[in-house]
Amino acid sequence: MASMAETLLELKSVRAGYGDAVVLDDISLQVTQGENLAVLGRNGMGKSTLFLTIMGFTRLTRGSIEWQSRDITRLASHRRARLGLGWVAQEREIFPSLTVEENLTVMQRPGPWNLKKVFDLFPRLAERSRAMGNQLSGGEQQMLAIARSLMTNPTLLLLDEPLEGLAPILVEELAAAIGRMAVEQGTTIVLIEQHADVALSLTRRALVLERGAIVHSAASEELSADAATLDRYLGLKLESAGD
Amino acid sequence: MLGPIAGILFDGFAYGMLLFLLSVGLSVTLGMMNFINLAHASFGMLGGYVAVTLMQHFGWPFLATLPAAFVIAAAVSMVLERVMFRRMYRATDLDQTLLTIGVVFMSIAGAAYFWGTVQQPVAVPDYLSGAFVVAGVNIARYRLFLIVVALVIVAVLIAGLEWTRFGAQVRAAVDNQRMARGLGLDVDRAFSLTFALGSGLAGLGGALAIAMVGLDPGFAFAYLIYVLIVVSVGGLASIGGSFVAASLLGISDMAGKYYVPQLGSFLIYLVMVGILMWRPTGLFGKR
Repeated sequence: MASMAETLLELKSVRAGYGDAVVLDDISLQVTQGENLAVLGRNGMGKSTLFLTIMGFTRLTRGSIEWQSRDITRLASHRRARLGLGWVAQEREIFPSLTVEENLTVMQRPGPWNLKKVFDLFPRLAERSRAMGNQLSGGEQQMLAIARSLMTNPTLLLLDEPLEGLAPILVEELAAAIGRMAVEQGTTIVLIEQHADVALSLTRRALVLERGAIVHSAASEELSADAATLDRYLGLKLESAGD
Repeated sequence: MLGPIAGILFDGFAYGMLLFLLSVGLSVTLGMMNFINLAHASFGMLGGYVAVTLMQHFGWPFLATLPAAFVIAAAVSMVLERVMFRRMYRATDLDQTLLTIGVVFMSIAGAAYFWGTVQQPVAVPDYLSGAFVVAGVNIARYRLFLIVVALVIVAVLIAGLEWTRFGAQVRAAVDNQRMARGLGLDVDRAFSLTFALGSGLAGLGGALAIAMVGLDPGFAFAYLIYVLIVVSVGGLASIGGSFVAASLLGISDMAGKYYVPQLGSFLIYLVMVGILMWRPTGLFGKR
């Protein structure tokens, strides 16, 4: 770990959306190496659109995006991925006509993560390695989506609701795995999560999106103790988050 | 009694293999990028003219013209993809249809300009002409050759798609283009290569077709219809589907012409309508 944390990703006054519809407006944020970030907010507030914009899948009409001080605002999506941006989509989006192992290796790039490492992280995937992508349970799909992205050895991993719809026991297991991969391999994480308590425990900073704008930004520890703010923006008690 | 049936199966299968080579490329590229390339059969026609020209004007042996037909059709398609088709990926179906049907008209006019509107004569080498009889079935050597070539290509294609990394990337891009890009796959490049490969196979199919069905500038249209039938019956992006659909259509076409000549070549359409009513996404299609 470098003592001077490097800025990985920086969004400057970004406005983006689909077609003529503006979903995000005036978004500015920074992610530095090793400083995991939680993105909170109710459904439909633009959290997923934020990730899609970082990956270059939306129409950006104002502002700029920089990756390690390089302007990537107009860069093709696959090139962003190759620069070290990893993305785990909310819908998991496993390739159904590829086996589990093929899903993992199809876009594999060299680095600390390899098949053995992701199988250590998710032993279940090793057991299912020959199954087709469309024969997996929800939890297995979620593990595979994360593992598939890790196999590209991203510097920064965008995780869009990785715990959504999982049984409580799996939530714990997967949250632990996410924590481990952040610590062990130094992969920086930006996490969208309905389970605010889990998200805040895995990250150092947090921001809250409302109607496409950042309305609150704080240290995760601070925010998890700030019941009033959480209740105001997320409208739910921590205990029942995501249910 | 068995003789005619086996004969029809053999001839129909050979004809089906021709349809397979002409159409498999379109099936894969249509499934991958949703790009409606009606000019696909024009690449088949180009392959045919390449073979004829090399044989008649340059004295090439027939077998040597086959790889040339593949390479030239692939190269020309790649150029068209770069300068024209690539701009149309996000266009509407109608725009894509209009553009590529325009290319079909141009290819027909171009073929008529350079080679005339007459049927091209083709001399198949002696070792491929004639026939022999096995168990009462008349086996035309050329058709047997066609079947062997097509089966080898089916095996190579399926193996390539199933067991190579590039094949897995093509399948990933067919499944979910956005996710493939998000993981770092240059989908446009993968498509460009697949497109060239598919067009090359059509070119090879065109070169092989002349000795069986002839060649004139109408080829691009006449076979466009068959190609579209194979793709819709087989299902998008399915090599196995195209293979089964092409065999089925080839055999039913032959059977129709033999047993119910009044229906003529109409039977193939009935088969298509029947199968699509039963399975709207084609035999092996997912969407």
